[in-house]
Amino acid sequence: MLEESGFIDIAIGPPVDTFGGAGGESKARLFEVYGYAFLAHKP
Amino acid sequence: MSEGLPVDALSLRDEVMAKYRDVAVNPHGAYHFHTGRPLARRLGYPEAVVARMPESAIEAFAGVGNPFSLGAAMPGERIVDLGSGGGFDCFVAAEQAGAEGQVVGVDMTDEMLQRARSAATAMGLGNVEFRAGLIEDLPVETGWADVVISNGVINLCADKRRVFDEIMRVLRPGGRLQFADIATGKAVPEAAIRNIDLWTD
Repeated sequence: MLEESGFIDIAIGPPVDTFGGAGGESKARLFEVYGYAFLAHKP
Repeated sequence: MSEGLPVDALSLRDEVMAKYRDVAVNPHGAYHFHTGRPLARRLGYPEAVVARMPESAIEAFAGVGNPFSLGAAMPGERIVDLGSGGGFDCFVAAEQAGAEGQVVGVDMTDEMLQRARSAATAMGLGNVEFRAGLIEDLPVETGWADVVISNGVINLCADKRRVFDEIMRVLRPGGRLQFADIATGKAVPEAAIRNIDLWTD
Protein backbone atom coordinates (compact mmCIF):
# COMPACT_ATOMS: atom_id res chain seq x y z
CA MET A 1 0.00 0.00 0.00
CA LEU A 2 2.94 2.35 0.66
CA GLU A 3 4.15 1.71 -2.89
CA GLU A 4 0.64 2.22 -4.25
CA SER A 5 0.68 5.69 -2.67
CA GLY A 6 4.01 6.46 -4.35
CA PHE A 7 6.51 5.89 -1.56
CA ILE A 8 9.96 4.55 -2.43
CA ASP A 9 12.99 3.15 -0.59
CA ILE A 10 10.86 1.35 1.96
CA ALA A 11 12.55 -0.29 4.94
CA ILE A 12 11.11 -2.33 7.80
CA GLY A 13 12.74 -2.80 11.19
CA PRO A 14 12.82 -5.95 13.32
CA PRO A 15 9.70 -7.12 15.19
CA VAL A 16 9.04 -5.91 18.71
CA ASP A 17 6.98 -7.92 21.17
CA THR A 18 4.58 -5.06 21.79
CA PHE A 19 1.90 -7.03 23.65
CA GLY A 20 4.02 -9.46 25.67
CA GLY A 21 2.73 -9.53 29.25
CA ALA A 22 -0.21 -7.28 28.42
CA GLY A 23 -3.89 -8.16 28.45
CA GLY A 24 -3.90 -8.52 24.69
CA GLU A 25 -1.01 -10.97 24.57
CA SER A 26 -3.11 -14.08 23.85
CA LYS A 27 -4.84 -12.49 20.86
CA ALA A 28 -1.54 -11.13 19.64
CA ARG A 29 0.04 -14.58 19.81
CA LEU A 30 -2.91 -16.08 17.93
CA PHE A 31 -2.20 -13.97 14.86
CA GLU A 32 1.53 -13.39 15.45
CA VAL A 33 1.06 -9.67 15.99
CA TYR A 34 4.22 -7.65 16.53
CA GLY A 35 5.18 -4.02 16.28
CA TYR A 36 7.43 -2.85 13.46
CA ALA A 37 9.10 0.40 12.47
CA PHE A 38 8.68 1.45 8.84
CA LEU A 39 10.66 3.98 6.82
CA ALA A 40 9.56 5.26 3.40
CA HIS A 41 10.42 8.25 1.25
CA LYS A 42 8.48 10.61 -0.98
CA PRO A 43 10.27 10.88 -4.35
CA MET B 1 -20.75 0.26 5.94
CA SER B 2 -18.12 2.45 4.27
CA GLU B 3 -17.93 1.45 0.62
CA GLY B 4 -15.02 -0.89 -0.09
CA LEU B 5 -13.75 -0.86 3.50
CA PRO B 6 -13.76 -3.83 5.89
CA VAL B 7 -15.62 -1.95 8.64
CA ASP B 8 -17.63 1.22 8.92
CA ALA B 9 -15.06 3.99 9.19
CA LEU B 10 -17.16 6.24 11.40
CA SER B 11 -18.10 3.48 13.83
CA LEU B 12 -14.47 2.42 14.11
CA ARG B 13 -13.46 6.04 14.69
CA ASP B 14 -15.98 6.31 17.54
CA GLU B 15 -14.64 3.14 19.14
CA VAL B 16 -11.05 4.31 18.86
CA MET B 17 -11.90 7.72 20.25
CA ALA B 18 -13.65 6.17 23.24
CA LYS B 19 -10.71 3.86 23.93
CA TYR B 20 -8.09 6.60 23.84
CA ARG B 21 -10.26 9.02 25.75
CA ASP B 22 -10.10 6.43 28.55
CA VAL B 23 -6.32 6.24 28.24
CA ALA B 24 -6.04 10.04 28.40
CA VAL B 25 -8.17 10.26 31.52
CA ASN B 26 -6.89 7.11 33.20
CA PRO B 27 -3.48 6.25 31.75
CA HIS B 28 -2.73 3.71 34.47
CA GLY B 29 -5.92 1.73 33.86
CA ALA B 30 -6.04 -1.88 32.67
CA TYR B 31 -5.88 -2.09 28.87
CA HIS B 32 -5.01 -4.81 26.39
CA PHE B 33 -1.78 -2.91 25.70
CA HIS B 34 0.99 -1.55 27.89
CA THR B 35 1.22 2.19 28.51
CA GLY B 36 3.61 4.83 29.76
CA ARG B 37 7.25 4.65 30.74
CA PRO B 38 7.41 0.83 30.99
CA LEU B 39 6.07 0.59 27.44
CA ALA B 40 8.60 3.10 26.11
CA ARG B 41 11.39 1.04 27.65
CA ARG B 42 9.91 -2.15 26.22
CA LEU B 43 9.81 -0.64 22.73
CA GLY B 44 13.46 0.31 22.83
CA TYR B 45 13.47 4.07 23.30
CA PRO B 46 16.84 5.16 24.70
CA GLU B 47 16.88 5.01 28.49
CA ALA B 48 18.13 8.58 28.73
CA VAL B 49 15.09 9.80 26.77
CA VAL B 50 12.66 7.75 28.80
CA ALA B 51 14.18 8.64 32.14
CA ARG B 52 14.14 12.40 31.71
CA MET B 53 10.61 12.64 30.32
CA PRO B 54 8.18 14.09 32.89
CA GLU B 55 5.47 11.67 33.95
CA SER B 56 2.75 13.88 32.49
CA ALA B 57 4.44 13.65 29.09
CA ILE B 58 4.80 9.88 28.98
CA GLU B 59 2.15 8.23 31.16
CA ALA B 60 -0.50 8.11 28.40
CA PHE B 61 1.96 6.83 25.79
CA ALA B 62 0.39 3.86 24.01
CA GLY B 63 2.58 3.24 20.96
CA VAL B 64 3.46 -0.12 19.45
CA GLY B 65 7.06 0.48 18.36
CA ASN B 66 9.71 3.16 18.07
CA PRO B 67 9.35 5.31 14.92
CA PHE B 68 12.82 6.76 15.55
CA SER B 69 14.52 3.36 15.53
CA LEU B 70 15.24 3.69 11.80
CA GLY B 71 16.54 7.24 12.15
CA ALA B 72 16.19 10.34 14.29
CA ALA B 73 14.76 13.66 13.20
CA MET B 74 17.43 16.13 12.15
CA PRO B 75 17.96 19.61 13.64
CA GLY B 76 15.64 22.15 12.06
CA GLU B 77 13.25 19.62 10.52
CA ARG B 78 9.48 20.06 10.42
CA ILE B 79 7.68 17.01 11.75
CA VAL B 80 4.03 15.94 11.81
CA ASP B 81 2.86 13.22 14.22
CA LEU B 82 -0.32 11.41 13.17
CA GLY B 83 -2.42 10.53 16.20
CA SER B 84 -0.13 12.25 18.65
CA GLY B 85 -2.05 11.15 21.75
CA GLY B 86 -0.40 12.33 24.96
CA GLY B 87 2.46 13.82 22.96
CA PHE B 88 5.38 11.58 23.88
CA ASP B 89 6.69 11.05 20.35
CA CYS B 90 6.25 14.76 19.62
CA PHE B 91 8.39 15.59 22.63
CA VAL B 92 11.06 13.15 21.48
CA ALA B 93 10.96 14.64 17.98
CA ALA B 94 11.09 18.18 19.37
CA GLU B 95 14.26 17.38 21.25
CA GLN B 96 15.84 15.88 18.12
CA ALA B 97 14.77 18.76 15.84
CA GLY B 98 15.88 21.41 18.31
CA ALA B 99 14.66 24.97 18.71
CA GLU B 100 14.85 25.62 14.96
CA GLY B 101 12.62 22.64 14.24
CA GLN B 102 8.86 22.49 14.45
CA VAL B 103 6.59 19.64 15.51
CA VAL B 104 2.85 19.43 14.88
CA GLY B 105 0.86 16.71 16.60
CA VAL B 106 -2.57 15.88 15.19
CA ASP B 107 -5.16 14.00 17.21
CA MET B 108 -8.94 13.62 17.16
CA THR B 109 -9.41 13.11 20.90
CA ASP B 110 -9.96 16.28 22.90
CA GLU B 111 -8.78 14.69 26.14
CA MET B 112 -5.48 13.65 24.54
CA LEU B 113 -4.99 17.10 22.99
CA GLN B 114 -5.58 18.73 26.35
CA ARG B 115 -3.12 16.38 28.02
CA ALA B 116 -0.44 16.90 25.36
CA ARG B 117 -0.78 20.70 25.39
CA SER B 118 -0.50 20.80 29.18
CA ALA B 119 2.63 18.66 29.10
CA ALA B 120 4.22 20.82 26.39
CA THR B 121 3.53 23.94 28.42
CA ALA B 122 4.95 22.35 31.56
CA MET B 123 8.09 21.36 29.64
CA GLY B 124 8.46 24.85 28.20
CA LEU B 125 8.52 23.57 24.63
CA GLY B 126 8.00 26.35 22.12
CA ASN B 127 8.49 24.23 19.02
CA VAL B 128 5.54 21.87 19.48
CA GLU B 129 1.87 22.46 18.83
CA PHE B 130 -1.11 20.15 18.87
CA ARG B 131 -3.97 20.44 16.39
CA ALA B 132 -7.38 18.79 16.43
CA GLY B 133 -8.03 16.76 13.31
CA LEU B 134 -8.26 13.46 11.52
CA ILE B 135 -5.27 11.76 9.99
CA GLU B 136 -7.35 11.10 6.87
CA ASP B 137 -7.71 14.86 6.45
CA LEU B 138 -4.67 16.47 8.05
CA PRO B 139 -4.83 20.10 9.16
CA VAL B 140 -1.37 20.66 7.66
CA GLU B 141 -0.28 22.65 4.61
CA THR B 142 0.65 20.73 1.48
CA GLY B 143 4.40 20.03 1.30
CA TRP B 144 5.07 21.45 4.77
CA ALA B 145 6.66 18.44 6.47
CA ASP B 146 10.16 17.04 6.24
CA VAL B 147 9.09 14.04 8.28
CA VAL B 148 5.81 12.37 9.15
CA ILE B 149 5.78 10.05 12.15
CA SER B 150 3.08 7.91 13.70
CA ASN B 151 2.91 5.17 16.29
CA GLY B 152 0.20 2.54 16.46
CA VAL B 153 -2.42 4.70 14.84
CA ILE B 154 -2.65 3.92 11.13
CA ASN B 155 -3.77 0.36 11.88
CA LEU B 156 -6.79 1.85 13.62
CA CYS B 157 -8.01 3.61 10.47
CA ALA B 158 -10.34 1.77 8.12
CA ASP B 159 -9.14 3.62 5.01
CA LYS B 160 -5.36 3.26 5.13
CA ARG B 161 -4.88 4.16 1.48
CA ARG B 162 -6.44 7.54 2.18
CA VAL B 163 -4.10 8.04 5.14
CA PHE B 164 -1.00 7.26 3.06
CA ASP B 165 -2.20 9.56 0.27
CA GLU B 166 -2.66 12.32 2.84
CA ILE B 167 0.82 11.72 4.24
CA MET B 168 2.18 12.01 0.72
CA ARG B 169 0.39 15.35 0.34
CA VAL B 170 1.86 16.96 3.46
CA LEU B 171 5.42 15.73 2.89
CA ARG B 172 7.81 17.85 0.86
CA PRO B 173 9.47 16.13 -2.11
CA GLY B 174 12.25 13.99 -0.65
CA GLY B 175 10.56 13.95 2.74
CA ARG B 176 10.16 10.74 4.70
CA LEU B 177 7.59 8.76 6.59
CA GLN B 178 8.78 6.86 9.63
CA PHE B 179 6.13 5.15 11.62
CA ALA B 180 5.60 2.22 13.92
CA ASP B 181 2.62 -0.05 13.67
CA ILE B 182 1.48 -3.61 14.20
CA ALA B 183 1.38 -6.30 11.57
CA THR B 184 0.17 -9.89 11.65
CA GLY B 185 2.24 -12.90 10.73
CA LYS B 186 -0.84 -15.03 10.12
CA ALA B 187 -3.87 -14.37 7.96
CA VAL B 188 -6.77 -12.92 9.95
CA PRO B 189 -10.15 -14.49 9.12
CA GLU B 190 -12.57 -12.26 7.22
CA ALA B 191 -15.09 -12.40 10.07
CA ALA B 192 -12.48 -11.09 12.50
CA ILE B 193 -11.45 -8.30 10.13
CA ARG B 194 -15.07 -7.16 10.01
CA ASN B 195 -15.44 -7.23 13.83
CA ILE B 196 -14.78 -3.67 15.03
CA ASP B 197 -14.34 -4.83 18.64
CA LEU B 198 -11.26 -6.80 17.59
CA TRP B 199 -9.72 -3.65 16.11
CA THR B 200 -9.65 -1.94 19.48
CA ASP B 201 -9.53 -4.77 22.08
